[in-house]
Amino acid sequence: MIKPPFDPVTLATPFFILTVIAEIVLARFGWAKARYETKDTAASLLMGLGSTVAGVLTGGAVAAATLWVWSHRLFDIPMTAVWAWVAVFLLEDLTYYWFHRISHERRIWWVSHVNHHSSQHYNLSTALRQTWTGALNGSFALWLILAWLGFPPAMIAIQKGISLVYQYWIHTEAIKKTPRWFEAVFNTPSHHRVHHARNAVYLDRNYAGILIVWDRLFGTFQAELDEEPCRYGLVKNLATFNLLRVAFHEWIAMAGDVVRHPRHALGYVLGPPGWSHDGSRETSTMIKAAAAPGALKLAPAEREAA
Amino acid sequence: MSPAFLLQLAGSAVAVGALVATAAWAKIAKPAPPLDDARARALLAAEFPGRTLDGLWVATDGVGALAKSGGLALVLCQVGDGWAARQIPWAQAMAASFRNGRLSVDLADVAAPRAVLTFPAWPPTDLAA
Ligand SMILES: [Zn+2]
Ligand SMILES: [Zn+2]
Repeated sequence: MIKPPFDPVTLATPFFILTVIAEIVLARFGWAKARYETKDTAASLLMGLGSTVAGVLTGGAVAAATLWVWSHRLFDIPMTAVWAWVAVFLLEDLTYYWFHRISHERRIWWVSHVNHHSSQHYNLSTALRQTWTGALNGSFALWLILAWLGFPPAMIAIQKGISLVYQYWIHTEAIKKTPRWFEAVFNTPSHHRVHHARNAVYLDRNYAGILIVWDRLFGTFQAELDEEPCRYGLVKNLATFNLLRVAFHEWIAMAGDVVRHPRHALGYVLGPPGWSHDGSRETSTMIKAAAAPGALKLAPAEREAA
Repeated sequence: MSPAFLLQLAGSAVAVGALVATAAWAKIAKPAPPLDDARARALLAAEFPGRTLDGLWVATDGVGALAKSGGLALVLCQVGDGWAARQIPWAQAMAASFRNGRLSVDLADVAAPRAVLTFPAWPPTDLAA
């Protein structure tokens, strides 16, 4: 099957709207923990709205690529078999983990994904803060492996939608911790708060989509610590709500670095965010190392000299 | 784009308006009292760990601050109910345009184009040579 019979994200949209209202109203009367700032909320929701337009504009090319790969598939996987759904659930979630990890570890993918992280807030509207340029840097190619294995394009599309809808409800401070067994297996509000935090100890952790198991397996898990309350946003936060700047700032910054330092273009494109040829900036790894217990408490320039 | 998608988009746009209005009505942003010296130092310490400040000037309206740290100017400005910080060469801060009590600092960053800070004078009169 090629065209999915339904789209989980479209079906869930009324639920998104009602739950954002519910979270705001509950917080307004002090019944739940949530912070909403008007301009920040507008920026997040308009990024979400814009991403649906971008999705329509680029969807055709992505679908065509998926279909082409599927026509060269290794196996015929039936969409009606239960085992096939279990398999696509696990493999899509594993694909998502690696997509998400490279989105943080390499600047060419971070330029798009940064949009999801640029709010200093963590509420349900943050979940809808989605990139406009996700298809441009080709990260969808990772999911082509599933089509090549033989999962029908419609099945992959539905599972991707389910994952996106699952990840919606975890963007909240209203839920502190879920039962222990659930925290052990699934991505939860607590785990994903860590992912959105800019505290050094929390940087580049908890890439999971639905199952947190992948982070535990690949060594990127970090539990939320009572003594380290999450501070949300980017290492260098945005100082503007201008939507075009919000959507494209890191693309422009990357292009600027390449033009200014063509000999170091590869590093500025494929290196980690914060990489610089002269060590004048900091990557997450450098920030984490400097903040680690026992590290020399030096400023970046002094650290360079040391 | 199909008419069905455009209709759905229009519906979503109306919903965005309603949600933003609800957020504005609720007034549940983070409390952000005007900066004082201690709060500015705490924020700068969190943003630039390990940096010592040679001087600190908090904007008179309390929505920003500028510090000197060696050859750098550390700039703090309020964004919504949060903060953004950048470092620029001190000379760049000294050269910033100062008009009607407002210092407009070019932060040379697409994500943080400029900070506008209200000061009684610029360059600061208590600046040690
Ligand atoms: Zn992320
Ligand atoms: Zn998220």
